[in-house]
Order: sequence, then C-alpha cells, then structure tokens
Amino acid sequence: MDNRKSPLLTGLLIMAIAAGGWIGGAELIVHAQTDIRSTPPAPAVRNTGQKSGEEVFQQNCSRCHKPPMTISPRITGTVVMHMRVRAKLSRQDQEALLRYLAP
Amino acid sequence: MKIWLLSCCLLVCTIAPLAQDTDSNSTHAGYVPALSVGLGYVENVNGGTSTLEPTIQPVLLLPLGSHILGEARGDFVGAFERRNGNGDYTGQVFSDLDYAQLDWLADTHAIVVGGKFITPFGLYDERLVPIWIATFQDTPLTYGIGTQTSGFGVGGEVRGVVTQTDDFSVQYAAYFSAHSNVSQFPAARTTGFDTSIYFPARHLEVGTSYQRFLDDPRNVNNEAIYTSWQPPQIPLDIKAEYDHSYYGQGYWIQAGYMLSQIPIATSFFKNVQVAGRMQQSFPDNGGGNGVPGVQTERPGIALNYYLRDNLRLISSYERNFTAHKDTNLWNVGFTYRFLWPLWPGGK
Repeated sequence: MDNRKSPLLTGLLIMAIAAGGWIGGAELIVHAQTDIRSTPPAPAVRNTGQKSGEEVFQQNCSRCHKPPMTISPRITGTVVMHMRVRAKLSRQDQEALLRYLAP
Repeated sequence: MKIWLLSCCLLVCTIAPLAQDTDSNSTHAGYVPALSVGLGYVENVNGGTSTLEPTIQPVLLLPLGSHILGEARGDFVGAFERRNGNGDYTGQVFSDLDYAQLDWLADTHAIVVGGKFITPFGLYDERLVPIWIATFQDTPLTYGIGTQTSGFGVGGEVRGVVTQTDDFSVQYAAYFSAHSNVSQFPAARTTGFDTSIYFPARHLEVGTSYQRFLDDPRNVNNEAIYTSWQPPQIPLDIKAEYDHSYYGQGYWIQAGYMLSQIPIATSFFKNVQVAGRMQQSFPDNGGGNGVPGVQTERPGIALNYYLRDNLRLISSYERNFTAHKDTNLWNVGFTYRFLWPLWPGGK
C-alpha cells in the first residue's frame, strides 16, 4: 500500500468515527414530534431550560478529563469560569453548572 | 523567582475582596482565587536513553467578579539523565510561563482574551497537554503543526458559542498573535481560527482549525480536522486528528477504555484505563518546523490506573518506525492534581 495515501485514509477514518458517533448515539435520543409550521424562529441560543447542570457536567467535563469528585464551594464560580473559557461553554451552561455544583 | 511569587501574593490579596463581589445570587458558588496544580514524575526511556522528568504545572485563577478572569499557567520540568550512561543522575530544570491571559466573559457569543494564550489549533494543545489529563505523555508527531513556534500566541483572541440548541452547539475561536522575542513571551506572528460542532446527546464533536503562519521562514497555511467521541453508555474515549502543513502532514488516532464493564473484581478494574494510539507523519518539502524530517510511524499502548480521581499511575509503550532507525519509547510514573482556594470566605 502506498503510505502517502494514509493521511487521506485518516481523513476518511475521522469522518467514519464521527459518523459512527452520530449513528451510534442516535438510539439514545428521544425525538420529540414537533409541528414545524408552528415552530417560532429559533434564537441564537435556544435551551429549553430542561437541561440540568448534571447533564451539562456529564456531557462536557468528560470530553477532556476525568472530572473531580469535589470542588470547594468557595472556588466553584472561579473554576466554572475557567472551564467556560477553555471549553467554550455558553452562559446558560455555566449557570446550570453552578446550580448543580454549588446549589 | 521571588519577585514573581511576591507579585502573585500581592495580586491575590488585592483582587480577592473584589472577586467575591459577584452578580450570581441564585447559587452558593464562590469566586475566590484558586490554584490548580498538576504534578508528575515520569521516567522516560527513548531509544535506550533514560530521563527522569519531574513536572509541576501550576495554574493560577484570579477572578474579578463573575465576568473577568485572569489566569496563568507555569511549567517547571526537570530532565535528569545518567552521567556517561551509568553514573549519577544530572540535569537541569526548565521553567516557562505557558500562558498569562485576561478573559472577559462578555456574553455567550464572545469571550475576549488578551495576553499570552494557548494557540487554539486542533485537539491537543488546548486540551490534552496538562500532565494530569494526557493519556500518553509524549506529544503527537504532528504536534508542531499549528503550534509553532512556542505553542502560544501573544495578542488577542475571541471565542465562544455561535449558536446552541438542545441538540447541538457550534463553537469558535479566532485569534491574532504578534511576533515576540520577549523572555517568557515568545510567539510567532500568526492568525487563525478553530470551529467545531458538538452534539451533546451523542458526546460527539467534529472540528477544524486553520492557521496562517506569517513569520519567517515563509508564510504557510496549517490546517487540521479532528473528532472527539465518548459514547454515552460505554467508558470509551476516541480522539483523532489530521494535520497538514507546507512542511508535512500526519495524523494520530487514540482510544482509551476504562475497564469498568468487566464483571469481576469491579472495584479494581473500574479504575484501570487501557489505551491505544496510532500515529504517522509524512514530511513534505524537507520537513522540519515541527514535522519529523523522515516518514515516521508510531503505534503505542498505555495502561493507567486511577488510585483516586486526581491521582493515577501511568505507563505507556510506543514503537517508533523510521527509515533510519527503529526505537522504543517507554514512560512510567504517576500524575497528581489538586485544586485549592487561595482566599477564605465566599458566598
């Protein structure tokens, strides 16, 4: 096999992983039936408010590292600010995390 | 060194009273200064040469209210080798200021960053460099693509969320870095952006980075595409990245699996992580500038054990294949991370 083709194959592999993630996670999602005609225009950030801080924690922190078991309440706001910058979280996600970690 | 410590203490004392004045009244979250420290002690064996590498990576977080954050990371790495191959260990400690930046969390769409910042290129530099996070301690073969000359920029950056729904989130970062030769602030003149889309229910992210390198020896474009996937019901972490530059191209793909699904000795196996990584790099136009000068393949495996969520034993083995010479790379050691408030009180 021509090794020079490997990067191209890697690009395809990355796409395949992404597609696998898309398809593999599909059955975990409950699709709500919505009437498109009655759906109002979507604002730039549209959280329903249903997403809990625990969900935000599970979905984002483990993307890069094993989350700490405890964080002192004194620095929770500071640490979540840092993670909002590093992980590019929205303000809504930041507030949900604060409610979860320091209610 | 003493001046730096004294300056930090004075800054903490000055900022701490201000830091507790926040506008978030719905939680008990405190905004006092914090210190996060990653510690590690790794024996690295590369091609038969053993090097002891103690490492300390402190991160200082200084909030000013709930919208402005000052943060800085230092890096103190020792490199000790046996004198003449079998004598006493001798070496030196290298100290660097990794980044020192001021963040203004303006709103969801824009976080404005100024100072010395981590170059937002690909997956590795921003997310996986800290010693307590990295599954493999050796950086990927293509790490130099998009992170020349120092892995950091000096200038400004805007980052945030373009749009977010319950189903997906589109994120971005755009930056400009000036050329700098100032001590502890070395940087190349570069500009670029990174953007990714994240599907939270699937724990799947796909992204791309672009950089225009504006310094000598020549203006070049660097590009990357990457993906990160943690299947929601399997303790598996898959990451992959492809990088391309004028000087070469290559990829790395890594999978880490926590053995928590093994039905026997659960209390032991749930803390064991097995990982594999495959890398290849291909030089173009002679390579160099962060890209190996010869075609290189490097498969590897890692075995890590978490004694606690912040303390782990690490080990890895990689085999480096090139046309010149094949070598083994071993890493054995531990990493530890702690997080301390630097001021009493809070809400």
